Amino acid sequence: MLDALRPSWSTDATECIVLDHEHVAAVSPAAHRSGVSVGMRKSGAAIIAPQATLLERSPEKEHALLHQAALAMLQYTPEVALADDHTLLLNVSASLMLFKGPRGISRRVTHTLRAMQLNATQGMAVTARGAWLLARRGQTGPRRRVRLASLHTQLNQLPLSLLPAAQKHADWLRGIGCHTLGALRRLPRAGLQRRVGTEVVRAMDVAYGEIPEVHAWFTAPLVFKQRIELIERLEHTSAVHAVAQELIAQMSGWLVHRQRAITQLILSMEHEIGRHARPPTQLALPLAAPAWQASHLQHLLKEKLDRVTLEAPVVAIGLETPDTVEMPAISTTLFPEPGGTAADHMRLLDLLAARLGPEQVRQPNTQADHRPETANQWRTAIGRATPACPPADIERPFWLLDPPEALSTHQDKPYYGSPLTLVKGPERIETGWWDGGLAVRDYFVAQDKHYVHYWIYRERDHHAARWYLHGLFG
Amino acid sequence: MTLPPDQLHPSLWRANQLARNPGPCQPSGFPSLDAELPGGGWPVGTLIELFAAQAGVGELRLLAPALAQLSLHRPVALVHPPYTPNSAYCTGAHTPRRPWLWIAPERPIDALWAAEQVLKNGSCAALLFWQKDVRPASLRRLHLAAQSSDMLFFLLRPQAAMRQTSPAPLRIHLQAAACGIELDIVKRRGPSMNHVLFIDLPTPAPHIVHHAPLDRRTPAPARAGRPAPVLVN
Repeated sequence: MLDALRPSWSTDATECIVLDHEHVAAVSPAAHRSGVSVGMRKSGAAIIAPQATLLERSPEKEHALLHQAALAMLQYTPEVALADDHTLLLNVSASLMLFKGPRGISRRVTHTLRAMQLNATQGMAVTARGAWLLARRGQTGPRRRVRLASLHTQLNQLPLSLLPAAQKHADWLRGIGCHTLGALRRLPRAGLQRRVGTEVVRAMDVAYGEIPEVHAWFTAPLVFKQRIELIERLEHTSAVHAVAQELIAQMSGWLVHRQRAITQLILSMEHEIGRHARPPTQLALPLAAPAWQASHLQHLLKEKLDRVTLEAPVVAIGLETPDTVEMPAISTTLFPEPGGTAADHMRLLDLLAARLGPEQVRQPNTQADHRPETANQWRTAIGRATPACPPADIERPFWLLDPPEALSTHQDKPYYGSPLTLVKGPERIETGWWDGGLAVRDYFVAQDKHYVHYWIYRERDHHAARWYLHGLFG
Repeated sequence: MTLPPDQLHPSLWRANQLARNPGPCQPSGFPSLDAELPGGGWPVGTLIELFAAQAGVGELRLLAPALAQLSLHRPVALVHPPYTPNSAYCTGAHTPRRPWLWIAPERPIDALWAAEQVLKNGSCAALLFWQKDVRPASLRRLHLAAQSSDMLFFLLRPQAAMRQTSPAPLRIHLQAAACGIELDIVKRRGPSMNHVLFIDLPTPAPHIVHHAPLDRRTPAPARAGRPAPVLVN
């Protein structure tokens, strides 16, 4: 309940009390220390902790949050069910191998939930109701049981108050000295059924794995578009990133479930409405290759957000995936390729482009032109490769000076630090009369007294010889 | 029976030998240079520092044979080059066809970050990184990142940086010479080199009639404590 109304309750020290029909429904640790406990009346709580923030319970927000968590959990298994009392049931039996065993998947689920700023406890067992009970037990005792026999031992020790079906008969059961599930199970079955009804017995059988349980699995929406309204106004991009992480975790779950991958991500940051109203800031993140992995996208978004300065405080954050493509199939090669797969390389390009800008990550895009400065074109490495022009068979220098540097002359010889000796040439380039960039040049390879090779040219259309340094041979 | 120390462990070597187990190496394409490098080539996954007074002393012609032997599907990354690289060189008929990547960060700190990311990712075949001022801590970081990859990693720095300390196991000073390049191996895993190594490089202009250089400078003059090199025939 607190997660839905005040996401940072577990880290900040404010006293928060959630009220449901004038009764305290949940308290933060600070408020608990002041003496407020669940079940108190509103007036009583207000006297004990006058400085506490009183929040009204909102079932819609709680449901929305559970829904978002279910969406994020879809990346681990397609079988997610919403259970009573704010619980999610995950059938992970088919995913254990992929996520490296029960401990591995448990660690990843914890990590995802933490990224979504949810405070949750986990239980793991061979039956869904058993796991539900283990997750809800107090601070003590193990929460993971993957063998039926040891699950039974654990369940036998659990207090009866955990079983919702037994709450109606709690007083009667306490009266006959039955405090744990184990004690309840040892009672004669027929008599118990007659006195407390089939519901309790059924719940026990389901938890102990004696009869199967039917779940209504969660189905993901067809389009992903989520928006989070913030409680506080965010002024720094690092805070925006923390919230966006939550959205990305949900999106990743949705993508895995639908077997889709995104080629572009749009994060919109909405600003205050009113006097300082301004349109939402849109942050587009184009990707070099389709991606769906939450960690990769979160990393990219962090680099991107670090470069952005917010013009106004943000009050809401939305995430959209305008177009999705089929998720690419996993490489089936037996041995790992040296240097990683093409997807690894694409991830590198994405990462570099997110921080430096897509224009700073370039690949050759040589044009078929005789003028070196026109032929030397580079384009961004993000996106599709262009067909290359046929390679020139004349060796060109590795470095080009842009623009060419005018050289002085010394005793009729070009001079750059020391007099240059022409060692090869001329190569005559005369082209570009049709587009205004007329080049009438004689190119020479020249050497200075330190034996460094330069590529210089002399403009031919002037009476006075003008020399330019255009390149260096690497 | 006592073993000689150089047979105790593969990582031990005598001060007058080259290191015996420096890890995987890529032949440089010049037998005389390979003979002077521990492992017989450019070490892979190691920070290699090259110092030159200016760009254009022949560094690319020196590295080209080694780069040509690397997988042609993996790109060669150029990070923060001092001038504009010529795409006509990269796609020309004299260079093997392979992808190239030019990363042009605006700030030096971004350049260091980009180089580290390229090394960590490991999808490129080689990384050439030009940087003027690198702090020793950053060098160590780059060297560590390089060790986790199988890439050839050259850091090209100005001559003045040669006097700074560095964790790089191989540091070479390059100087242009007539019809070639002179290499002075400043640091290597092995004995210090008493002479300057001359490597005959193809001239950038292939149509010149190639004569054997007659005006080559004599090797480094004998200094105190160093044996005089054998005269060139």
